[in-house]
Amino acid sequence: MNNFSVDLTNCDKEPIHIPGKVQSHGFLIAANKSNLTIAYISENVGFFIKENPKNFLDKPLSILNTFVDQGVPEFRIEELIKLGVLKKSFDAISPHLLEIGGRSFYLIISPSHNHWLLEFEPVTLQYDIQSSIGRSASLMLKGKSVSALLKGAAIEVKKLINYDRIMIYKFLDDGHGEVVAEEKEDNLEPFFGLHYPASDIPKQARDLYKLNLTRLIADVNTEDSPIITFLEDQPLDLTNGSLRAVSPIHIQYLKNMGVYSSFSISLISHGELWGLIACHNYSPKFIDYKAREGSKLIGQILSSALEYRQEEEDLEFVEKFKDTTNKLTEYLNRDKNLIEAITGHKETILDVTQASGAAVIFENNLYTIGTTPKQEDIYDLAKWLRETSDETIYYTHRLSEIYLPAKKYKNIASGILACTISKDPDEVIIWFKPEQISTVNWAGNPDKTATSLENGLLTLSPRKSFETWSQIVNNTSERWLAEEVSSVLRIREIILAYINKKANEIRLLNEKLQAAYEELDTFSYTISHDLRTPLTSIKTYAELMLKNKSIDEQGRKMLDRILNGAEKMNFLIKEILNLARVGRSEISLESVDMESLIKEICTEVWTAFKADKAELILGHLPNLKGDRTMIAQVFTNLISNGVKYSSLVKKPIIEVSGYADGDEIIYAIKDNGMGIDNRYYDRVFELFKRMDNVKEIEGTGVGLAIVKRVVEKHNGRVWFESQLNSGSTFYVAFKNK
Amino acid sequence: MKTPDIFYVEDDIDYAFFMQSAVQEVRDSLNLTIVEDGAEALLKLQNFAESKTKPKLILLDLNLPGMSGLDLLKFIRDIPYLKSIPVILFSTSDNPDDVKASMEFGANAYLTKPDGYDNLVKCVHSVHDFWFNQHLRLN
Repeated sequence: MNNFSVDLTNCDKEPIHIPGKVQSHGFLIAANKSNLTIAYISENVGFFIKENPKNFLDKPLSILNTFVDQGVPEFRIEELIKLGVLKKSFDAISPHLLEIGGRSFYLIISPSHNHWLLEFEPVTLQYDIQSSIGRSASLMLKGKSVSALLKGAAIEVKKLINYDRIMIYKFLDDGHGEVVAEEKEDNLEPFFGLHYPASDIPKQARDLYKLNLTRLIADVNTEDSPIITFLEDQPLDLTNGSLRAVSPIHIQYLKNMGVYSSFSISLISHGELWGLIACHNYSPKFIDYKAREGSKLIGQILSSALEYRQEEEDLEFVEKFKDTTNKLTEYLNRDKNLIEAITGHKETILDVTQASGAAVIFENNLYTIGTTPKQEDIYDLAKWLRETSDETIYYTHRLSEIYLPAKKYKNIASGILACTISKDPDEVIIWFKPEQISTVNWAGNPDKTATSLENGLLTLSPRKSFETWSQIVNNTSERWLAEEVSSVLRIREIILAYINKKANEIRLLNEKLQAAYEELDTFSYTISHDLRTPLTSIKTYAELMLKNKSIDEQGRKMLDRILNGAEKMNFLIKEILNLARVGRSEISLESVDMESLIKEICTEVWTAFKADKAELILGHLPNLKGDRTMIAQVFTNLISNGVKYSSLVKKPIIEVSGYADGDEIIYAIKDNGMGIDNRYYDRVFELFKRMDNVKEIEGTGVGLAIVKRVVEKHNGRVWFESQLNSGSTFYVAFKNK
Repeated sequence: MKTPDIFYVEDDIDYAFFMQSAVQEVRDSLNLTIVEDGAEALLKLQNFAESKTKPKLILLDLNLPGMSGLDLLKFIRDIPYLKSIPVILFSTSDNPDDVKASMEFGANAYLTKPDGYDNLVKCVHSVHDFWFNQHLRLN
C-alpha cells in the first residue's frame, strides 16, 4: 500500500522561503518596520555575540549598538535603517562593514513584508575584488558567439570564486536543463552536455532564482540554525535573505553528488530565467559577500550580453525570412499565378521558415518543394489537420506521436507547421522538418523513486546515482521557433490579400460577363424580331409573283428557291428567338403534368415530321417542377431530334420515360437512330454545332443549346449516352423540390 | 368623296401592298383606303365625320410611328359619328397584354398578322365573310 509513486516534482509543494532556519555561517535579526523592535532572531546569534538570543526578542533594535565595536563614526543601527528608508533602497548601504568582538562582519539589510532583515556574515576576503571584476567582464565579452560568451563567463566566474566546477546551465522549454558550458578542475569528470530533469530544480526554486540572483550553500554538512520568535504562525519570509537555509532535499541532492558547497547565479533573459551559472565545490568553501556580488555582476553582464547576442543571432534568420517574404510579395504582384509566384523562383515559400520541405494544397492541386512525404500522405495529413484543428496555425515537432500514420515518414516530417489559407475549399500550406535522432545524456536516470525509510514510510529522496544515463530521443524534429511561426503568419496575410484581390478581379469579370450575356440575349431577341418582318415581305412577294401567270417555268423555280430559303431562315430566327427568350425570361415554377404534355408534344412532332413509321413507347411519366413553356421546349427538341435522327432507319423506335432518383427526376429520351460520335461529346450542346453525320438531315444547331440552357436555368443536368449507328439516349434531370 | 368599304392604317408599305392584293382577291369590288401614319389617319377620320361618310370596317396596325393604333381607336370611340364602326386591331405581336388593352379600348377584334400571302388571303376572307355579311344582315 506504500507503493504509490513519488518523484521530486513533489518538491513543488515544500514552502522553502519560510523555513524558519538560516545557514549557520552567519546570523539573522529581523526587526519590525514600524517600531524597530526585534521580532525574530536566529538561535546561533549566541555563537557570535555572547548573549542568549531570547533576550533580544521584543527589545528595541538599538540594543545591537552596544554589541558592536564602536569606532568613528559611531555605529547606530537605527540611523542606518532611517537612511535606507530615506533612500528607498539599501543597495548603497549593504554591505555595511562592522566589527563584533574584534571580528569583521558584513551587515546586509533587506525588506521582508513588515520587517527588516538584518543579516550578519563574516568578512573573509582581505583584498579589494572590484578591479578583477571589471577585467573579468571585459575578457568574457570578447566571446563573439553565444557559446564563446558562455565559456568565457564560466572561466571568469571560476577565477572570482575559485570553485572546483563552474557550469552554465540552460533551461529548455520543458523545464529540464542542459549544461552548455563548463570550466572545472582537470581531475573532475566533465558534466558538459549533460541534461538534468526539470524536477532537479523545482518550479518554486526557479521562481526564487528570478528574485534572488545569487544563492550560496556554504557547507552542506553544517547544521542550520533555527529562527526564534514570539510570533506564532507567522513565519518570516526569507525570499530576500542570503542566509536562507536550504531545503533538506536539496542538501541531500548535493550530498549525493559529492558536493560540499554550491553557489549559483541566475541568468535572466527577457525577464525569464534563461539559466544558471551553477558552481560546485567538493570541499566546504564559503564565498565572501564581495566576491558573490562580483559574480552577480558578471551574471548580469552575461544576461544582457546573452539577450543582445541571441537577438543578433535571431535577427539574422528573421532578416532572411523578411527578405523572402518581400521577394514573394513582389512575385505575387508580378506573376499571374499564385503557385508560380510562391514556388517558381529562387526564393520560395520554403524559405520563410527553416523547414526542409513544404507542400501547398491550392485549388485542389498539390505542389511540393524540397523534401516532403508522398502526395497521398500529404492529402491524408491535410484531412487529419482539418478534422483535428480549428486553428489557423498548427505546429508540432513530434507529429508521429500525435498522428500515428506519420510514423512511416517521420524521417522526413517529424515536425510540421501547417497554415490554413481557406477552410472551404480546403487550402493549406504545410512545412516539414525531418526527424532528428538525438541522444540525450541525462545526469542520472530522471525517473527517480522515493526511498523507503526503515519505519516503512516513503520519503522524498533525491536520486543517488548521477551516472550518465543516455536516452535516445526520436520521432522528434527541431522545434519550430516563434520567429518561424510569425513569418508564416506574415506570408499568410500576403497570400490572403493576393487571393482577395484575384477574387475581386474575377467577380468584376463575372459581372461584365453577365452584362455581356444579357446584352447578347437582348440583341439576339431584337435582331431576330426585326429580321422577321422583311423576311415575311420577301416570302409574300415571292408568293404573289407565283400567282402571276406571265412568269415562265424558270422564273417559278427561282421563286420556289426564294421561298424555300426564306422558310429556312424563318425557322432559324424562331429558334434563336426561343433561345434568347430562355435567357431573358424568369422561370415560373409549377408542377407540370408530363403525361399530357408529352402526349401533346408527340402528336405535334409526329405530324410535323410525318413520322408514321416511327414507334413511340411511353414509360412512366412523373410530373416535373419547372416552367411549363420551357420544359415543353426541352421535350419538343429532344423528341424531335429522336424522330429526325432515326428517320433513316427501317423501324424507328422512340422511348420516353422518367424516374425519381434521390432528389431528382430523371427523364430518358431514347432513339435507335444514327447516334453521335463520342469524340464530339463536349461539342454536342454548343450553339450552331452539328455533327458530321447529320448533314443530310435539316437542323439549325440551336435545339440542344436551348435544351442545355433551359435545364441549367432550372439547376438541372443534361447528358447523353450514344453509339454511332445504334442510337442515342438523352437524359435530363430536374430537381425534385 | 367615295366612302371606302375598309379604312386601313398601316405604316409597312409592303404589308399594305399585300393587303391590297388580298382584299382584291377576296372581292374585287371592295374599296380599300390605306393611310401610312397616325396623323394622316386622324385627318381622314375627321373628314369622315365632317362629310358624314362612314367606312364599313376599320383596320388598325397596332404599332404605328407617333400615334399608336390604340390611340386611334380611342379617338374613333370618342367621336359619336364614328363610334359604331367595327374596328379590328392588326399586329405582328401576339402579346396577351396588347390583346387585353385593345379589347378594353373597345376593339371589336384583335388579329395577328398571318404569315405568308395565302394565309393573309384566308384571313381577309373570313374577316369579309363575318363583318360584311353580318353587316348586311344587320342592315
